[in-house]
Amino acid sequence: MTATANVTMPAGATPPASPRDTRAKKRRRGRFGDRVLPYLLLLPALAAILVLLAWPLVQVLAISFRKLDIGQLVSGKTVWIGFDNYTNTLSDPEFWTVTFRTLVFTAAIVAATILGGLLLAVLMRHLGPVVRIIVQVTLVLAWATPVIATTTVFQWIFDEQYGILNKTLDRLGFHGFIGFSWFSSGASTLSVIGLLIVWQAVPFVTFSLYAGIIGVSREQYEAAGIDGASAWQTFRAVTWPAIKPITTMVTFLSVLWDFNAFAQIWAIREGGPDGGSTTLAVVLYLKGIAGNHFGAAAAIATLMLIVLALITGRYIQLLTRTREGDLS
Amino acid sequence: MKKSLSQRIVLSVVGVLVALAIVFPTYWMFVTSLRTPGEILSPKYDLIPTSFSFGNFATALGKDNFPTYLLNSLIVTVGSVLCALVAGTLAAIPLSRLRFTGRKGFLVLVMVAQLAPVSALFIPLFLLMRDAGLLNTLPSLLLIYFATTLPFTVWMLYGFVNGIPYELEEAAMIDGCSQTGAFRRVTLPLLGPGLVTTSVFSFITAWNEYLFALVFIRDKPKETLPVWLASFRTAFATDWGGVMAASVIYAIPALVFFLLVQRKLVSGATAGAVKG
Repeated sequence: MTATANVTMPAGATPPASPRDTRAKKRRRGRFGDRVLPYLLLLPALAAILVLLAWPLVQVLAISFRKLDIGQLVSGKTVWIGFDNYTNTLSDPEFWTVTFRTLVFTAAIVAATILGGLLLAVLMRHLGPVVRIIVQVTLVLAWATPVIATTTVFQWIFDEQYGILNKTLDRLGFHGFIGFSWFSSGASTLSVIGLLIVWQAVPFVTFSLYAGIIGVSREQYEAAGIDGASAWQTFRAVTWPAIKPITTMVTFLSVLWDFNAFAQIWAIREGGPDGGSTTLAVVLYLKGIAGNHFGAAAAIATLMLIVLALITGRYIQLLTRTREGDLS
Repeated sequence: MKKSLSQRIVLSVVGVLVALAIVFPTYWMFVTSLRTPGEILSPKYDLIPTSFSFGNFATALGKDNFPTYLLNSLIVTVGSVLCALVAGTLAAIPLSRLRFTGRKGFLVLVMVAQLAPVSALFIPLFLLMRDAGLLNTLPSLLLIYFATTLPFTVWMLYGFVNGIPYELEEAAMIDGCSQTGAFRRVTLPLLGPGLVTTSVFSFITAWNEYLFALVFIRDKPKETLPVWLASFRTAFATDWGGVMAASVIYAIPALVFFLLVQRKLVSGATAGAVKG
């Protein structure tokens, strides 16, 4: 049968068989081919992950101990300076201001996202099918709108002269908002950016939590009803235990995404006014790409990775352990 | 729990109000794109449009090589999705169907890589692309999007292949198919929906990407759509209608794809939630 011969020729990788080959030899080669086959198939994916993800991770650490400005980049000389990039960064008061701002910003938007998603998911459970589908469609629209399209829309809504928000506030009697610039201070700019990020992140959280809530059996809610549990008690005793794992998961993912948020912040005011909406991700870009201080930027990136690892480390540990089950 | 009529009405009203608040930015983008510049800059207060004009779309499409940016975005996005699908499928097959040393290790690597905050790695990646002479070219972006979406692609496809019973392949082999033939004729067609779902996710990730597109590309004509759109002030000044029309054109592919697979994305993303 010609068909069986195919097995020994995976992906054209086996060299063409010489005419002297006996059947026994062929079988042995087949076994060898079978043993090599999985690695050949994995090769493209493995190479991409190692070269474009793992190697840069090692490199970022290595570069952080080097002086690598435009001069070194052009001359190609490797200048090791030990911990200088770190001491310079850590002794800069501006760095601590930005770090503090980034942490507060991340905490605020993650909390708002999770709380908003939780409220919406619970609300969706109580809605009739028609209204629920309306809410779901609007959530998908918010989720699917590309990040940069969203930033342009928000800038238009918050436009000082013709933006619909100021027009509405004026109509409601707050005449002081005519011509009010929402991007005149760092705090206000970050609030708008935060709102934008939360608006886009809530749908994912809502759908994830809602999937957990509808997984709870109807009987459990009925039993709670018969026992005379209040809405809050029902949530605490029935809903929360069911969605706690998913809540932890989406919180972790939100921290990961929001801590590194760059596109929205940069696209709206490039970290301005006067650096007032600058976060660590923006500093990284400014130092590295705009300022050509690759070594110093790598040190900041390493510090960011350390902070992230500290915040999420415990969860990654749990995650990999639970997923071991999927690896069988 | 039975709810009284008044309770249900209150809940429905709250639900509709919430829906209106959520949909407003997207709605406003579409509405503004359909207005004339005169209407947009008038002090009139109208949330619901009475007339439509498509002039803004003509402005946006004629602006500043808009079609070039659109094409650039399509090249890097479609290219990276195809690469990720090929490499992902090739990897998913042995992971699911064969047993070999290092299999578990590779799965752990994929899992960890999926969580890697790639945006923190743009310094070494920038230097890597510079050394490779790829800086300021579209392939540099294609490679990055390929690598960032690959772990997710492998993981999803691994799950999808696992979901297709091996017995089907065995039956085909008893009927005279080779192992590769059985895979090609039986499993691959069944993998179709999985490939579509996975590629939509990768498509959206690449289509949205901003940081690397900003860092790697220096020449204006090589920019992708999000980078150009983010700097809309240079192209449009305060022509908000034109900006919104450009945003709509940019958003539509993502919106369409998203609506297609929304349900599956949710279950896929939370499948690995930690229990307990």
